[in-house]
Amino acid sequence: MSAPAQSPRVSTDILVEIDRLVKEFPVERGLLATRDVLRAVNDVSLALRRGEILGLVGESGSGKTTLGRCAIRLIQPTDGRVMFEGTDLATLSARDLRRFRRRMQLVFQDPSGSLNPRMKVGDAVREPIEVHDIARGSRARARVAELFGEVGLDPSYVDRYPHELSGGQRQRVGIARALSVEPQFVVLDEPVSALDVSVQAQVLNLLSDLRRRHALTYLFVAHDLAVVRHVADRVAVMYLGRIMELADASVLYQRPSHPYTRALLSAAPVPDPTAKRERIVLSGDPPSPVHPPSGCPFHTRCFHPRKDARCVEERPELRPITAGQSTACHYADQW
Amino acid sequence: MTPLLSVRNLSVSFATPRGVARAVDDVSFDLLPGETLALVGESGCGKTVTALSLLKLIPEPPGRTDPRSRVEYAGTNVLALGGEALRQVRGGQIAMVFQEPTTSLNPVLTVGSQIAETVRAHRETDRAGARERAVGMMRLAGIPEPEERYGSYPHQLSGGLKQRIMIAIALSCEPRILIADEPTTALDVTIQAQIIELLSDLRKRLGLAVLLISHDLGLVAGIADRVAVMYAGRIVEEATTADLFARPRHPYTEGLLQAAPRVDRPQAALAAIPGSVPSATAWPSGCRFHPRCPHAWDRCIREEPGLLQAGATRSSRCWLVVEPERRRPATTAVTGTA
Repeated sequence: MSAPAQSPRVSTDILVEIDRLVKEFPVERGLLATRDVLRAVNDVSLALRRGEILGLVGESGSGKTTLGRCAIRLIQPTDGRVMFEGTDLATLSARDLRRFRRRMQLVFQDPSGSLNPRMKVGDAVREPIEVHDIARGSRARARVAELFGEVGLDPSYVDRYPHELSGGQRQRVGIARALSVEPQFVVLDEPVSALDVSVQAQVLNLLSDLRRRHALTYLFVAHDLAVVRHVADRVAVMYLGRIMELADASVLYQRPSHPYTRALLSAAPVPDPTAKRERIVLSGDPPSPVHPPSGCPFHTRCFHPRKDARCVEERPELRPITAGQSTACHYADQW
Repeated sequence: MTPLLSVRNLSVSFATPRGVARAVDDVSFDLLPGETLALVGESGCGKTVTALSLLKLIPEPPGRTDPRSRVEYAGTNVLALGGEALRQVRGGQIAMVFQEPTTSLNPVLTVGSQIAETVRAHRETDRAGARERAVGMMRLAGIPEPEERYGSYPHQLSGGLKQRIMIAIALSCEPRILIADEPTTALDVTIQAQIIELLSDLRKRLGLAVLLISHDLGLVAGIADRVAVMYAGRIVEEATTADLFARPRHPYTEGLLQAAPRVDRPQAALAAIPGSVPSATAWPSGCRFHPRCPHAWDRCIREEPGLLQAGATRSSRCWLVVEPERRRPATTAVTGTA
């Protein structure tokens, strides 16, 4: 239901623009509490087009979750800007920011961790409706019933508690809660990672339907490249806080141009023992984001035949390689 | 070929506040020398309980292994062993690697000493000998600079290195069988690829038989020789890897394969399996998959099929094996829930 080709509402109109965003966290270590800085997101610029699903992929520590949270200002960036329909979120007063909050929502990975265990799930969905003064009383309850129907939950479930639902049903509640305030932009942070594959497909299909029905824009944060291929129009690949490659999904999966993207794709298992695939096994672990390598962040694990001293000294900028594909590699076009 | 390990009629249940959960129900399979057999299934299907009960690692109570269950290894029933005899099989003959290396390692002991301790539990050797063997195992498990890393504590190592330590511990006493329970699930995909490569390499070099427990059909397709698919406490299909993926015979297996997004090719829609896995305290009547099955008919609701022979080397717990004309045409994508 969600082939990227069927996304007519994607335009070049920018809804969210992330501009040179940096997010640092202090890291204290040892008895003397020497302070290091972990730069989780390092100078990232990214524009989300109205109506698109932008997949943000990377392994643990790549900064993808932090970037997602900065994008809706759940956490404040250290530097850089996030513009929502042209408005810099940092310039908003607390009151104005609250009005903006309605327009951007987050769906978490683990629905059991993000729902109050002592609140009925219907109330969990109704709460934001009332907080944002969208409806009250019986009209709010009617809206909850409507939302439940929309996410494929029996409306009789409103009186249940989270533990009485399955993981897939809880994630549907999380989605209903995010949609309850009629947002334009939703950050989905690993929305199906906690689900079994049979249920994961249900939720992915649901998310695709909802996007179409409500002209939503998604930032879809995930580590699973197969899941992202299935939903995303464009994909950004992160490594150690930076974007390594940004491309239309159809291009990225067929002609990945960054060595890291190629390694990730080759490492992703395929349920077909006869599939013929490129086999790249990277050596070593990703370096610590507290002490990232000089030059290209990927050079310590890179297998590109052209890798040389330039990669160690000079960090490649993200640059256009082909139509709809930008890559941060000096030799992306010299495979 | 004579099986190395024969599991017969394994049933394990748990007393829970909601009643008795029949987590594993009459499971039988063989593990042949040198092969990799995968037990696949989603959460709650009983695959991990099966793996743990092979080595009597299920605490009783609340668990209870049915007395008719047998796990035959080298002519003895492991489930009847206790004390020193059981300890010699555990770790010495059959070793295990778990999903989460962080919780399996002792945080206050160096990783090297934890390997050495295992060596000394199973072999007559002095401290120096155990240490030497531990360093050798670390090298075998692909740990760079093993002498240096011997004195590291678990928290100083990455997830991938910790899993390599777990593998070193598991293989330190030259077991003949390795049970690997979701060995790469906690790891990033590039590290997973390293660990899988290591396991395949060690299996060949050491002639190990591997029982791989996994939820990931992609992973299984890459390394298993044979696959047993579990659903609701039962094995529902068993086949060689090539046969299973080329032509699944159980609707659940088929559903899983259609529901899995593929990284290597574009797909129009994912055919989700409606509903969710039932609770182990109340398995459905008849075929346990019938409430979610697109082909189910009245017989499926009433009568549970056995594992029916569906070819020379495969079987499927499905009435379609004997009534193939009941099969319905392909279904459409599901977004709703049952």
